Amino acid sequence: MKKLDKHYDVIVIGGGATGAGTARDCAMRGLKVLLVERFDFTAGATGRNHGLLHSGARYAVTDGESASECIKENMILRKIARHCVEDTGGLFITLPEDDLAYQQLFIEKCREAGINAEAIDPDLARRIEPAVNPDLIGAVKVPDGAVDPFRLTTANVIDARRHGADVITYHEVVRFIISGNRMEGIVMRDVHTGEETEAVGSVVVNAAGIWGHLLAKKAGVDINMFPAKGSLLIFGHRVNNTVINRCRKPANADILVPGDTICLIGTTSDRVPFDQIDNMEVTPDEVDILIREGEKLAPQLATTRILRAYAGVRPLVASDDDPSGRSISRGIVCLDHAKRDGLEGFVTITGGKLMTYRLMAEWATDMVCAKLGLTDRKCTTAETPLPGSETPLEVNDTKKDKDGHPSRQHIIELPTEQLAAEGRHGSLTEEIRWQNPGDDALVCECEQVSVGEVEFAIDKLHVHNLINLRRRTRLGMGTCQGQLCACRAAGLLDKADRCTERALDDLCSFVNERWKGMYPVAWGDTVSEIQFTQWIYSGVAGLDEFLDGRDTEHLLH
Amino acid sequence: MKFDTVIIGGGLSGLTAGIELARAGRKTAIVSTGQSAIHFSSGSMELLGYDRDRHPVENPIEEIAHLDPVHPYSRLGKERVIELLKRVKPLFEETGVKVSGSHQRNHWRLTPMGQMKPAWLTLEDYLTLESPQSLPWKKVAVINVDGFLDFYPRFIEAGLRQRGVECLTASVTVPAITHQRESTTEMRATNIARVVNSESVNQLADVINRTCPDAEAILFPAVIGFDNFEASRRLKELVKRPLHFVSTMGASVPGVRTQLMMQSYFRCIGGAFMLGDTVTRGYFSADGRRLLSVETANFADDHLEADNFIFAAGSFFSHGLNSTPSGVFEPVLGLDTDAPDDRSAWFDKNIFKPQPYMRYGLTTDSSFHAMRGGRTVENLIVTGASLSGADALREGSGAGISLLTALNAADTILTSKN
Repeated sequence: MKKLDKHYDVIVIGGGATGAGTARDCAMRGLKVLLVERFDFTAGATGRNHGLLHSGARYAVTDGESASECIKENMILRKIARHCVEDTGGLFITLPEDDLAYQQLFIEKCREAGINAEAIDPDLARRIEPAVNPDLIGAVKVPDGAVDPFRLTTANVIDARRHGADVITYHEVVRFIISGNRMEGIVMRDVHTGEETEAVGSVVVNAAGIWGHLLAKKAGVDINMFPAKGSLLIFGHRVNNTVINRCRKPANADILVPGDTICLIGTTSDRVPFDQIDNMEVTPDEVDILIREGEKLAPQLATTRILRAYAGVRPLVASDDDPSGRSISRGIVCLDHAKRDGLEGFVTITGGKLMTYRLMAEWATDMVCAKLGLTDRKCTTAETPLPGSETPLEVNDTKKDKDGHPSRQHIIELPTEQLAAEGRHGSLTEEIRWQNPGDDALVCECEQVSVGEVEFAIDKLHVHNLINLRRRTRLGMGTCQGQLCACRAAGLLDKADRCTERALDDLCSFVNERWKGMYPVAWGDTVSEIQFTQWIYSGVAGLDEFLDGRDTEHLLH
Repeated sequence: MKFDTVIIGGGLSGLTAGIELARAGRKTAIVSTGQSAIHFSSGSMELLGYDRDRHPVENPIEEIAHLDPVHPYSRLGKERVIELLKRVKPLFEETGVKVSGSHQRNHWRLTPMGQMKPAWLTLEDYLTLESPQSLPWKKVAVINVDGFLDFYPRFIEAGLRQRGVECLTASVTVPAITHQRESTTEMRATNIARVVNSESVNQLADVINRTCPDAEAILFPAVIGFDNFEASRRLKELVKRPLHFVSTMGASVPGVRTQLMMQSYFRCIGGAFMLGDTVTRGYFSADGRRLLSVETANFADDHLEADNFIFAAGSFFSHGLNSTPSGVFEPVLGLDTDAPDDRSAWFDKNIFKPQPYMRYGLTTDSSFHAMRGGRTVENLIVTGASLSGADALREGSGAGISLLTALNAADTILTSKN
């Protein structure tokens, strides 16, 4: 078996926001870090949620601790991850069928948690957000926003690498190396080739989300987790520019979030068995609930095209003294398995939410440092901007926005594809080449992704296939869902010297992955789009010929 | 406005029916939004490419016997299909579109991703092969245009190499195309074809002649000849080795060219081609048995009246069909459709497996008349992709169904008493 030369201080398992954040924090504190991910970064729950920069208001009434964690992290992310955050503001609206008395309690609890919640006149709410249900009888303004979990995670990975971390994707941890009562390392399997590699380290951090339950079992440790499926719908454009929530106890489909070119309604919440967590499907019933409830927030959704449906799995953790799982915590769970299970060198960080990923990373890193006897290493992630948010962009100093910050307006207005890239990558955009002819040619017209940006992503952002590229750049995420950009990008990826066979297989996987989110909501224009996609990919390009006689089951995953 | 026949849809099917009727002296109008499936064609047309088990078909005629009874070919009957097939090549000849191929034996075409697919008719300047395994060269060059992203020399190279042909790749440009590159979205096949004039063709031939000198033949993306065959013929003449065009992804130059040539021929012989217009409503007789007139977006006050109508508006992609979460419908005239209401039956979750929705279309009587509220509309015939009963993509039959049902519809109208 292959063995990595280095002896790591810490091996972090899981390429979601929490794992990437933990790798970054550990690396910034001077540890030798290995980050291992089974598939791609953000392939789990990190990439399958609202992309909501919670103010915490949603939890204020039911879970004050989560609420105050959220608002603190909210303020931190606005500083350290500017290029991933959009300050949309949020509204909690009361509809005629809701109890207006709840609003008062809600505002009180928000203030207790440190959230600036302000009741406003329904008329003002209608002016702030013209898409809101005009029948609303109450509204509260809160500091919600939108956050892009893909770019946020990528920025953490980039920074971890800058601080010396090694990063390996498409490797699944298949077993642990345990000697006596001490964790000494991992054995990981290349998911493509099946080849196994050993890596040794002093501490292993399990940051694998819901998969952490299964992972812990491999170390002989039981964590009582429950997979909770949450389904969401993506609409074809931004109906709203402000986050719209229902001012009531958290329920199905009561948050509508604008993000980039689209908006999202969600979620449902249902327990699912562990054998389903790798293949979430959104059912027609869930789609119907989401549409029905979504229309109550913004009636326009009734006539807006639905681009996709998708579902993520939250890791809910039951208290250790309650194996039945009735008392579920939504807070952060950081487990020292030495104390809990007598296994030295193993830490699990789970529970929590995207909003608190940085805090989770901080807790996990604190625990790792304590185990390594390095308690003097202080966490600096709350103050240190992520790559992309480090240096101010070229700005016009004479212009200030309403808060007095320099306006992001350029002295000379940039072309759309460069502005789009800048919106996505912040100050990292400086690394994108624009000078050669054709660098600015558009690969993805819906999302304005250029050749230069694709090549930058291939070179710098850990891109091995089209789905990776989509998560890094938004290529294929627009209204046509990858009709022509996918094959253009496949051509560019193939140029980066890959096996053509694999490139075609990758293209087929990508088309199928897009379809997976489309068929639960395929009617109207979506059927026209997919029929066109099928004609050009199978009819003109002949990918059906390529697949004839091959096993296509793997394309579904 | 009064016509003998009004055709809804200006794609391959609508134009074919229109030409047949106009040529017979009938006053014919075609209402077309301007875009149709043919604009994305591969440069080849298919009659029947694959059998039920997806094995390539050698002789399409023989295979017709094995099709479902609801398939448009089965409904026409083998004898009738053969009769109609004889008229296809002369029809293209007449419009100036040069095709080669035979309905008794499929040939093969090369796709922009290096795959081989069976075909029936292929435009004259495209590569056609007798069999997917026997390629006529040892060494060939795939030459792309600099910065053109909808053509994949390396995929083609891999496909050819698998079949034992050595393959060189290169890319070239000429000033007109370099200029085009300055815009971020102009390097698309049809946009390039618009700017390549005779001077650029000369320059292009020069540079191709200097590129990969030891290749026996040149494969080049189909980006030449927007509305006629002149430029592509000239390039082939000037290049000293055999040059074959290979289709590209996106809007297709051969598709647009074929559509434009047929459209212009239809106009030449007296047809009215109402481009950029769309039918918005139909007016039926009181008993619902006849369509009397249609209203269009551009002629809201002056309806188009006709003795006969042809519905050739295509499938979902062309908006001949539409759907809601609770069913499939025909959006303009309210015609009956042949599809289940339950949307969970429409799709397979693997996009590369057979998709039931592909077979959906309008319900028709035995002579392809549309139905409305369960009753036949006697003067409204459905053709092409609007018909139900075939997965034209999977079996490779799109062009064949469009052409044959259109010719048949024209015959039905010409032989009827009205």
